[in-house]
Amino acid sequence: MSKSISKSTLTQLITLSILIVLVVVLSILAPEFLTYNNMMNVLRQVTFVIITGSAATMLMITGHMDLSVGSLLALSGVVFAVCAMNDIPLFLAGLLGVGVGFAFGVLNGILVTKLKVTHVIATLGSMYVARGLSYIVTDGKSINAGLPRGFDSIGRKMIGTIPIAVIIAVLVLLIFFFLESKTVFGKYAFAIGGNKNAATLSGIKSNRLVLSIYTLVGTMAGLSGVIMASRLGAGDPNVGNGFEFDCIVAIVLGGTSVAGGSGSVIGMAIGALIVGFLSNGLNLLGVGTFYQTVFKGVILVGAVLLDSLIKKKLK
Amino acid sequence: MEQPILSIRNISKEYPGVKALDDVSFDIPANVVHCIVGENGAGKSTLIKILTGAIEKTRGSMLLNGQEYYPKSIKEAMRAGISVLYQELNVVDELTVEENLTLGAEDTRFGVIRHSGKTQRVYEVLHEIDPSIQLKEKVEKLSMAKKQIVEIAKAVAANASILIMDEPTAALSEEEVRKLFTIIHKLREQEVTVIYISHRLDEIMEIGDYVTVLRDGRTIATKQASGIQGQEELIQLMLGKIVIQTYVPSVIDTDQKVLEVEHLTNDKLHDISFEALKGEIVGFYGLVGAGKTEVARALFGADPCEGTIRIDGKEVHVRDPRDAIRQGITMVPEERRTQGLFLELSIKDNIPVMNYKKISRWNVYNKRKQREMAVQYIKDLRIATNSEEKNVSLLSGGNQQKVVLAKCLNADAKVLLLDEPSRGVDVGAKDEIFHIIRELAAKGSACIVFSSELPEILALCDKIILLYEGKIRAVIQNNAEKQPDSEKIMQISTGGLDKYE
Repeated sequence: MSKSISKSTLTQLITLSILIVLVVVLSILAPEFLTYNNMMNVLRQVTFVIITGSAATMLMITGHMDLSVGSLLALSGVVFAVCAMNDIPLFLAGLLGVGVGFAFGVLNGILVTKLKVTHVIATLGSMYVARGLSYIVTDGKSINAGLPRGFDSIGRKMIGTIPIAVIIAVLVLLIFFFLESKTVFGKYAFAIGGNKNAATLSGIKSNRLVLSIYTLVGTMAGLSGVIMASRLGAGDPNVGNGFEFDCIVAIVLGGTSVAGGSGSVIGMAIGALIVGFLSNGLNLLGVGTFYQTVFKGVILVGAVLLDSLIKKKLK
Repeated sequence: MEQPILSIRNISKEYPGVKALDDVSFDIPANVVHCIVGENGAGKSTLIKILTGAIEKTRGSMLLNGQEYYPKSIKEAMRAGISVLYQELNVVDELTVEENLTLGAEDTRFGVIRHSGKTQRVYEVLHEIDPSIQLKEKVEKLSMAKKQIVEIAKAVAANASILIMDEPTAALSEEEVRKLFTIIHKLREQEVTVIYISHRLDEIMEIGDYVTVLRDGRTIATKQASGIQGQEELIQLMLGKIVIQTYVPSVIDTDQKVLEVEHLTNDKLHDISFEALKGEIVGFYGLVGAGKTEVARALFGADPCEGTIRIDGKEVHVRDPRDAIRQGITMVPEERRTQGLFLELSIKDNIPVMNYKKISRWNVYNKRKQREMAVQYIKDLRIATNSEEKNVSLLSGGNQQKVVLAKCLNADAKVLLLDEPSRGVDVGAKDEIFHIIRELAAKGSACIVFSSELPEILALCDKIILLYEGKIRAVIQNNAEKQPDSEKIMQISTGGLDKYE
């Protein structure tokens, strides 16, 4: 028998089967589950995780994490709203919002790669700073008055029957899938996460690469924040609490190793959909959010456990 | 004849489509050093894993002291008195010697560690083996050899009656090997049976009482070491054909200096100057700690250094390995698993890492070209694998080393630094690696070999540079008619002699 299926493909197949089982079960239990409107509703909800998670998956493949993405989502949205309110053209306001994420991404990257702060600590620090800044900018209140017309277009408008946000998420996903699987950049990310020593001795500038991926993560968190604010029609400093963990859940469900070296962006998208469908389905079934949180924890550990059990069996 | 301590009877291990072990049978008498030799893939590791309960046999039986022995876990094997000293040592660097010795067997009261007669015995065992090791010292500060001694003491104190040593000398200098052998003799006196696995046949001839040769998962022979007619006979048994290593002078273009190094200095090296001519294989020899790896790493930009490096007469500056690769210097690192390979990645993903240019355009790579490249190297270097998609972690040591070589060859370097190129590699693969290095030199690359195995240096290198304490002590021209005096070389390398005349 030749080893035709690689480990990460196997994990993806397992997560994909979990997703399919979940969809089948939910559509039997809740008749309104498999409707177009409901599907779009779920897709809209998972766009944020998919946009940010695409970059964060690459980051985790290198063996690093970013805990600041939830706060960056809030800060970028707030900056977008404040700029828009102050008559800065919408496009530029959006760009500034994304720019805040970019700047924090660079900061995180420098802290981790140049100043050698442990990645969890560095991004935990940024998490507090960014959250604090979004409270300062808004004085702790949600900004929803005086926003220009069109502020909500990127978050709510559709092209044909598909929300713009969903299209953006799919594009981002495809770009990162391309980066991961077709480019030298992606190969290097796997190499750094798999064996940093060997990567350095192979002439890979790991610091430079990790720095650029942190920047991408920050930027994608910024983009998510702008879309979120537009969708809410407000710059709310409280959004995105726990968002960093939603991303990590999706990434890990998708078969990315927390230690780095293996993983996949597509797997992350499947993971995000599992979480999205699950909470949506539970909503439809009338299960309260308190219980949903419990479910999320169970499914995370359960899926990882199932994955390792199946792999052990096949060995 | 006395009852053997361990009888292996018709052991087979089958994986789907592969017979790793095929009807292996032999006896291990008590209180001897019993060596197991064989090429990589001959079944040595599989046999050890079965002995220690890491995997289950498919068929056959084992008798330990005349009793049916069928371990289901490593712990069970240890309880039965079989311990293993793995190639990758199982010591915790951050803990002290004392803590390591009792790790897992601490004497506790209410969870608090206390000292008692039981722990005292472990310390005594260590003291007996090597009194120079301090109990309070952190293990990370110990040399490889001393770490090994700590592990041996731990196993002996746990009442091991059989101690399996898997390539114990792979990371040791000749001096340390001598010391290990003294310890092995002591163990035998203490009625510990040692199962000794090594690629170094000279060691086996020296330390072994019995030798079992495995080939392709089968027992070829079990012999008393005293009855073996030299290493050639062992090699013949292992390979089924004779391989004799002799020095073949390279064709050297004396007018063309590919590499010139002047006054290379850093905290470990003092004023290293040498040159490599076109087609020449230069060898650095020295004991562990003499500075071989440091020279390689400095030239490769992996460690900071001062000095001048010229390639083809042009001065180059290497700040880091990436610079080095761009300037035409590449390195096969000392430790292939931790420094050379990406174990979770496939062969085809490992090979192009140093140089993607040939298979990519605008940093987007071409899957077809990548596969073709891997297939070509698998064919050229005779890497034994059924697919280029195979994870390198699943390859044998020799084949892993060939993947590292392929990775470096792909960088198209003018200067190839090879740090311990055949460490932990079987005789057949070693031969092939030598052949690859000679071919590279013949094509005009400068090959610099760093090795702590003198036979390797003598067989391969045209010029031999002896290092001692970070300094060059002597430069010797190899000679096909008259082999350099290895005793003198050893004396210089241990600091006993200043010059080679």
